[in-house]
Amino acid sequence: MEQNNSLPPFQGLASPQGAMTPGMPIFSPMMPYGSGLTPQPVTNTNSLSLLEEQQRQQQQQQQASAQQAGVPGGLGQTPQLYHSQTVTTTTLPGNTPLYTATPLTPMTPITPATPASESSGIVPQLQNIVSTVNLGCKLDLKTIALRARNAEYNPKRFAAVIMRIREPRTTALIFSSGKMVCTGAKSEEQSRLAARKYARVVQKLGFPAKFLDFKIQNMVGSCDVKFPIRLEGLVLTHQQFSSYEPELFPGLIYRMIKPRIVLLIFVSGKVVLTGAKVRGEIYEAFENIYPILKGFRKTT
Amino acid sequence: MAYQLYRNTTLGNSLQESLDELIQTQQITPQLALQVLLQFDKAINTALANRVRNRVNFKGSLNTYRFCDNVWTFVLNDVEFREVTDLVKVDKVKIVACDGKKTAFETDVV
Repeated sequence: MEQNNSLPPFQGLASPQGAMTPGMPIFSPMMPYGSGLTPQPVTNTNSLSLLEEQQRQQQQQQQASAQQAGVPGGLGQTPQLYHSQTVTTTTLPGNTPLYTATPLTPMTPITPATPASESSGIVPQLQNIVSTVNLGCKLDLKTIALRARNAEYNPKRFAAVIMRIREPRTTALIFSSGKMVCTGAKSEEQSRLAARKYARVVQKLGFPAKFLDFKIQNMVGSCDVKFPIRLEGLVLTHQQFSSYEPELFPGLIYRMIKPRIVLLIFVSGKVVLTGAKVRGEIYEAFENIYPILKGFRKTT
Repeated sequence: MAYQLYRNTTLGNSLQESLDELIQTQQITPQLALQVLLQFDKAINTALANRVRNRVNFKGSLNTYRFCDNVWTFVLNDVEFREVTDLVKVDKVKIVACDGKKTAFETDVV
């Protein structure tokens, strides 16, 4: 993955200055998300999604070549990078081609960054994705509960069928209106795949299920800064963003304004980030909080 | 009205077969057979609730589950049924379970 290390032209907030884990995409607020790597997704045996993946790969390659066209002359060596990378990169945990589908902005290498800032070198791992989709038809929940496997339906307690699948390991809430919530996936692509699998289950039971308005509603990530943090200090200086009640909850709740992400920061140095609609918000929020946390490192 | 859950057991099926034979040979009416089965339901439910004391543990891997109309249906694989005295292993077992708590419609009239 030597291609990654030859990306110094990108001076984003999150730009790697050599200290980057090989194979990690560079996420900077100024950069289109498709920059750097366009890793191929893990191949799966699901024929429906295989077709999707092929279409997506085609899209990526089109976009990569479109990106090259849109790149200003200043970024000399990078055009080749895109070319080779669309062909040769291997799967990375949690990286998603869906991400590259955002409209491309011309790449401006000028991202105002604090002169001495380096990327943290830590990438938050996605732990949970919540998404919704509309199957587009009314459903008879009792039929679904009786005929589908791994389904629970207790209308007295909750007006939806709770169904689970093992791959990707997710849970879906299926409502009689035809709307469905899919939770538990570890990546955007897995969430979409899982939702499609549930839709296929419903379809096989005889309902005219469609796959309308799939949308990721929430993404949760977590990481470890590897040093203890003085939460008291943090709440004193950032009181307009933080709320820390150790008697109520041992973590500090930091509500970042831009991007709009809620972070749970713990004394151990573990950080949970939630409220994101796209992966980049998680990464951006973490890059924003990391220097602040470094400033509140416990020294004893 | 007790659970009719136990009609599909070795005991319940034998009873149903015997009743069917009697109906075939015109010795009893279908209505009587139905009453017999209802009485069987009450009897087996109270017997299991009051007269059974032993305990069996089982452990296996869950293949599928279902919960609908307050009835749980499980299919387990590679299950070991363990009682103090002995051990039985099976490849596949289907468990149908109804709520043990007394519900509104159950009556104690014998």
